[in-house]
Amino acid sequence: MSDKLKQIISKQNEKQEETLDHSDDIVQLVGFVIGEEEYAIPILAIQEIIKPFPWTRVPQVPKYVVGVFNMRGAVIPLIDLRLKFGLSPKKQSDETRFIVMRHGDDIAGFVIDRLTMAIRIKKSDIGPPPETLAGDDTMIDGVGKQEDRIITILKVDKLLKRDF
Amino acid sequence: MDEFQEILQDFLVESFELIEQLDQDLVELENTPEDLELLNGIFRVAHTVKGASSFLNFDVLTHLTHHMEDVLNKARHGELLITPDVMDVVLESIDLMKALLNTIRDTSADAGIDVSECVVKLDKVSGGTGEVETPVVQEAAPVEEVVEEETVEESASEDEPDYDNMTPDDLEAEIERLLQERQAEDKVKRDAKIAAGESVPSLEPEEEVTPEPTPEPAATTPVPVTPTPAKAAPKAAAPAKKAPVVEQTIRVDVKRLDHLMNLIGELVLAKNRLIKINDDVEERYEGEEFLEELNQVVSIVSLVTTDLQIAVMKTRMLPIGKVFNKFPRMIRDLTRELDKKIELEIFGEDTELDKSIVEEVGDPLVHIIRNSCDHGIEIPSVRAENGKPETGTIKLKAYNEGNQIVIQIDDDGKGLDVEMLKNKCLDKGLITEKEAESMSDKEAFALIFKPGFSTAAAVTNVSGRGVGMDVVKTNIEKVNGIIDIDSELGVGTSIKLKIPLTLAIIQALLVGVQEEHYAIPLASVLETVRISKDEIYTVEGRSVMRLREEVLSLVHIGDIFEVERILDASEHAYVVVLGLGTSKLGLIVDTLVGQEEIVIKSLGEYLKGIEGVAGATIRGDGGVTLIVDVVALMEIAKNVKSTALTDTTSDAALIHEKSKPSDYVVMIVDDSKTDRTVMRKALEPLGLTLIEAGDGQEALNILKQGDHHFDAMLIDIEMPRMDGYTLATEIKKYNRYKNLPLIAVTSRTGKSDRMRGVESGMVEYITKPYSSDYLSSVVQRNINFKSEFL
Repeated sequence: MSDKLKQIISKQNEKQEETLDHSDDIVQLVGFVIGEEEYAIPILAIQEIIKPFPWTRVPQVPKYVVGVFNMRGAVIPLIDLRLKFGLSPKKQSDETRFIVMRHGDDIAGFVIDRLTMAIRIKKSDIGPPPETLAGDDTMIDGVGKQEDRIITILKVDKLLKRDF
Repeated sequence: MDEFQEILQDFLVESFELIEQLDQDLVELENTPEDLELLNGIFRVAHTVKGASSFLNFDVLTHLTHHMEDVLNKARHGELLITPDVMDVVLESIDLMKALLNTIRDTSADAGIDVSECVVKLDKVSGGTGEVETPVVQEAAPVEEVVEEETVEESASEDEPDYDNMTPDDLEAEIERLLQERQAEDKVKRDAKIAAGESVPSLEPEEEVTPEPTPEPAATTPVPVTPTPAKAAPKAAAPAKKAPVVEQTIRVDVKRLDHLMNLIGELVLAKNRLIKINDDVEERYEGEEFLEELNQVVSIVSLVTTDLQIAVMKTRMLPIGKVFNKFPRMIRDLTRELDKKIELEIFGEDTELDKSIVEEVGDPLVHIIRNSCDHGIEIPSVRAENGKPETGTIKLKAYNEGNQIVIQIDDDGKGLDVEMLKNKCLDKGLITEKEAESMSDKEAFALIFKPGFSTAAAVTNVSGRGVGMDVVKTNIEKVNGIIDIDSELGVGTSIKLKIPLTLAIIQALLVGVQEEHYAIPLASVLETVRISKDEIYTVEGRSVMRLREEVLSLVHIGDIFEVERILDASEHAYVVVLGLGTSKLGLIVDTLVGQEEIVIKSLGEYLKGIEGVAGATIRGDGGVTLIVDVVALMEIAKNVKSTALTDTTSDAALIHEKSKPSDYVVMIVDDSKTDRTVMRKALEPLGLTLIEAGDGQEALNILKQGDHHFDAMLIDIEMPRMDGYTLATEIKKYNRYKNLPLIAVTSRTGKSDRMRGVESGMVEYITKPYSSDYLSSVVQRNINFKSEFL
């Protein structure tokens, strides 16, 4: 029995070492769902993920900017990605989360429908965005292929850029 | 390299400080050319800059300052009289010196500015031939040749690093000279203090500390000294002398102060929360003993926080004199350029302001003063004709008024001509005929701040390009300041800039509209008035009200901030009268929440520049409240058509074209499952969409979510949590449900029950038991069920 355990442990260690060896080539992402699609952003761009929170409406902004909220003393804009991506508004549910993203000095919270998981993906498995969507304006950084699914990886700096 | 940079920084800071003082001294010097104190001071500046720049290898600067030093040295020794012409040359050289210093600051080198012309002039003034070796070489220009013997000696003996090479006699003389300089300086300071009415007790003993007390302070040329007995090391003597006069100050990076200020901001927010919690606790545990202790702690914390806030604010304060200092020079240049006689009087230069504000008010003041000189003060001959003294006076005052600083600029010039201002603006199409007619004098004065406005007939070097005064307005408004103009034709103009002491923390009035709150800076609030709907009149599509003798135009805060009118407005509303300079505006709000000290937080890069919002603050409950930008609000208000308190029921949303029976939505509110099923059974044949709720609270939540547009509601009266009457009353508070038919379905049959039903807004009253047909017909009638669906 203990031999078996040892075997398993050593196998696991090997695996870990393997992944460690290639850690340079691996990107860590956090996946989430908006509407029907799964998206992901680099884990390092995320400051925190919080449960929905009361916010204050701000006038004279596009619909997708739902307002501002207080995160430990800082006033942070809140953006609904459903609306930003042109989907119809949806009631917040138990799975709704705010993802607070940061890029340099820019910071904002984004409303997403639900989180999926943290994803480790090899760089080689990430393809460029489809050509029809490529260009300077695209919010898509690349498309990650994993087993049976395709994940759209978003550019955090583009998400945080004001476009109104 | 780093060390060099550090030295360079120190050099620049020191030089700029010296120059600031220099400008004022020079202008003063022109009036009193014999004032040796002043001359000495000015000479020292040139000398110090020369010494330091030669050390740092800024040859051009050294070359220039060296010649300045020559001229000043001669003047100091009475060999040269400071005439306006001499002064022009000296001032020119100082301008060059500033330019050089600026170049050094930006590029760390002093190349690119040609000083030779000025140096020649300086040399001529000082009696030289004008043939000066052109500088700019790597080696310090060997200019000594054109300088008289005496000067060389003088300046050599003053070069501090040379102490080691001095003969004992020279050293003695140098020590003596330094001493006298110091004493002379002290004397000036003392005189100034005495003049300012302050007592000077502590200064005298301090002076005694100096190693060699000489009886006679003021003196210019070295006097033979009594040899000091124990003069150990001359090197040590110099610093020792300086020690007692070193100012007790530390230079602190502004960033650190900003950080401190931010922390205090957080503390103020925490304090506000604490006070709120204390209030809640007080309410809940009334009469408990520990409350008193809690109260004490809370009040101490709030007191100390306030004190701390003031203390930190004070560390950021600078005297406004820093800005005022440059004006005497500016006026002098302008008077020569414009051929006018103008005197500048400065009062209250000790008044202190936040550093960031001091930086912002500099430019506006330059524009205002230039304007006063150019357009305000008349030329001497005209002044004489009008029976005024030939010399015009501009008074620059700064003083505290409440928690504001007022900077007042008065001139005794020709004043503003209201008619001319209006005509000018009409010509340029800046205002309409109608506006001109209805304009008060104060409003007309404010026209000078319109972009594109200029009263100067011709564009001069000084002003008239049509930019400037509008910059004044934007800059002052940027720091939440207010401009107030007063003018009398032929007598003069007075411009007042009212500026808050600090930018970060302000007093605000919190107001409520529907379910939202907004903060209005209290400085802009003149008063608040409670009015009823019928006090509001509509004139040309705009709401106005009569406030005492005035007609005040009104705008609803909800129209500006696109607030959805969910709750019905009550009979009464509050008007917050906002005042900004001369313009006034009434802002209609639903409720007044109270006055609170708020910390201004930026909305960040993403949301900056939203019209009408100056920032946000975090409230005691942790929520975010937006701060109203009163300046922008007044602009927006001009273009907003006020719907004020007129009923804009959003019925449009409710009247959907019904194309099939299921477009009709009816809610059934009953706590009994059986009763709900009975009603459902009765209505199902019609094909309506039926939504069920178990009690009043649930029904209200469904309504609030707004997922459905209900056409009618069937409401039971007896229900847990919220009964039918309360539910009906709550529903009727919402504007959009005003016309929603509420049908009571109950077993209560008493007359008083029916009365209550009507009072709470029920339109029908069905008593249990009922027949399905009856229920169905009542519902059909109330939802205007189209017969073709039957």
